[in-house]
Amino acid sequence: MWKLAAGFIAFAAVAMWLLAAGSDVDISGEKHGIEAPPAPVSTAASNPS
Amino acid sequence: MATAAAKATPGIPAKATPMTSEERKVIFASSLGTVFEWYDFYLYGTLAVIIGKQFFSNLDPASQVIFSLLAFAAGFIVRPFGALVFGRLGDMIGRKYTFLVTILIMGMSTFIVGILPGYASIGVAAPVILIGLRMLQGLALGGEYGGAATYVAEHAPHGKRGAFTSWIQTTATLGLFLSLIVILGTRTVVGEEVFADWGWRVPFLVSIILLGISVWIRLSMNESPAFKKMKEEGKTSKAPLTESFGQWRNLKIVILALVGLTMGQAVVWYTGQFYALFFLTGPLKVDGATANVFIAIALLIGTPFFIVFGVLSDKIGRKPIIMAGCLLAALTYFPLFRALTQATNPDLAKAQATAQVSVLADPNECSFQFNPTGTAKFTSSCDIAKQVLAANSVSYGNVAASGPAKIKIGDKEIDAYTSQGLTADEAKAKDAAFKKTVVDALRAQGYPAKADPAKMNKLVIIAILTLLVIYVTMVYGPIAAMLVEMFPTRIRYTSMSLPYHIGNGWFGGLLPATGLAIVAQTGNMYNGLWYPVIFALITFVVGMLFVKETKDVDIYAKD
Repeated sequence: MWKLAAGFIAFAAVAMWLLAAGSDVDISGEKHGIEAPPAPVSTAASNPS
Repeated sequence: MATAAAKATPGIPAKATPMTSEERKVIFASSLGTVFEWYDFYLYGTLAVIIGKQFFSNLDPASQVIFSLLAFAAGFIVRPFGALVFGRLGDMIGRKYTFLVTILIMGMSTFIVGILPGYASIGVAAPVILIGLRMLQGLALGGEYGGAATYVAEHAPHGKRGAFTSWIQTTATLGLFLSLIVILGTRTVVGEEVFADWGWRVPFLVSIILLGISVWIRLSMNESPAFKKMKEEGKTSKAPLTESFGQWRNLKIVILALVGLTMGQAVVWYTGQFYALFFLTGPLKVDGATANVFIAIALLIGTPFFIVFGVLSDKIGRKPIIMAGCLLAALTYFPLFRALTQATNPDLAKAQATAQVSVLADPNECSFQFNPTGTAKFTSSCDIAKQVLAANSVSYGNVAASGPAKIKIGDKEIDAYTSQGLTADEAKAKDAAFKKTVVDALRAQGYPAKADPAKMNKLVIIAILTLLVIYVTMVYGPIAAMLVEMFPTRIRYTSMSLPYHIGNGWFGGLLPATGLAIVAQTGNMYNGLWYPVIFALITFVVGMLFVKETKDVDIYAKD
């Protein structure tokens, strides 16, 4: 069990070290749409938000 | 394989013997698949913007809407369908082979995304193939969790099913950390520019290693002893779907598993891990990197509790732990999130308490801003006013009025605009001017642009986030064992997979979009919490009244 605990802590430490290096990544999970800006058009109203 | 299950006597807890190497292998092989599942879950979130740019950005707006709906369907419709397809196979031909098929489909779908040419190379075929791969992956995912839980539980000694299956539940955290290591490691090695160009493919390609290990281990595994025995006796179900959902005797248990267990479990899980993160980076204006570290620390501290509550559920029962988790969550979410605001962004808490803000609008102009696919357009002056305030974490009152909507901040009134009939450029210009006027007025009233790290009470923040994760471990740690124990072997895979995926996919998956819509509608940034509170309470009441404790159930009794 202690080997598992040590492995988990080491694993998490690497992930947190990379995170703490200032990397701003989205960890909020899978998106249910497509994250793409619409192709430029001249007439359509935009989403104001 | 001599099974521990065969050695144990139902109703009598197994002796406190250490896990055998065979049992460890069963858990490891099963959990690898769910690590894979979570790894993909995070890849499609973290890399969403890059994937969008590579595959969807050159599509016209109408096509983007269609692809958005298809991507939405991949997560919300295909997975429960996969639960039916692979659950049925698992109950008819066996756990082992179904398990192999799901991981092969899942792994290959992920790997192929890594070598799939983008829109610039093969045009519209690229997004079509990508969506097809996500559909396939969703299908396989639907069968993965139920298989893992069933396979592990059917190998576990009686009295240790909670402990054994709780290892599967830790894979959500492992999948997150693994995705972070691979993504951030690749980004660090190749640099931002190369990562956006082709480096993003590496995390998808790496999945082939996970796949290879998983298949190799799973090929060496034996069929579940319970299924093997049933097959030898010719007692396997010929029509698992009909037996599971066509007969009221079993269907009512499926419904109870959904409403009395997985629905509440899912909303507590999503709130603890995702809504808390959204709350930090959105309303509380904490920068993303800092919020991620807070969440990761809370997960690191909280994750071992999956095992703690799994083991505890073998001693005191699954039901008391899951129900306590739902009740505690429902009772404490509001005070905990208010305390989180105070600890994270005290300037915001002070401004909210002192500066009165109202939206004066015709109620007929205001819509419920539910937008799970991100494709809906909100163009009325009321909706635009509310979106700008919600984006700035302002709690506001709603006052019925006629004419175009206005925002009142202190004594200052600001006219909102409607983007109906405007060109994209005109709407953009109006939007920028309106946002600037509102933001300037808010700053004048003390609303901060960002949470000040110097004023954060980091210990309190981590303590609150850890408590939210512990609630997650209470409801999620024992759930696999409980679901397995509710159904007989012949239809177990089918019967438990569907309520799990509907609960987590639908009730959990819709939490962020619904919470945001409630906040924008009502003007109170805490009101999104009503969604998990209500569903957790429903599960608590239904679960307490109708769901029976299962820890002493002999899962072979009806075989």
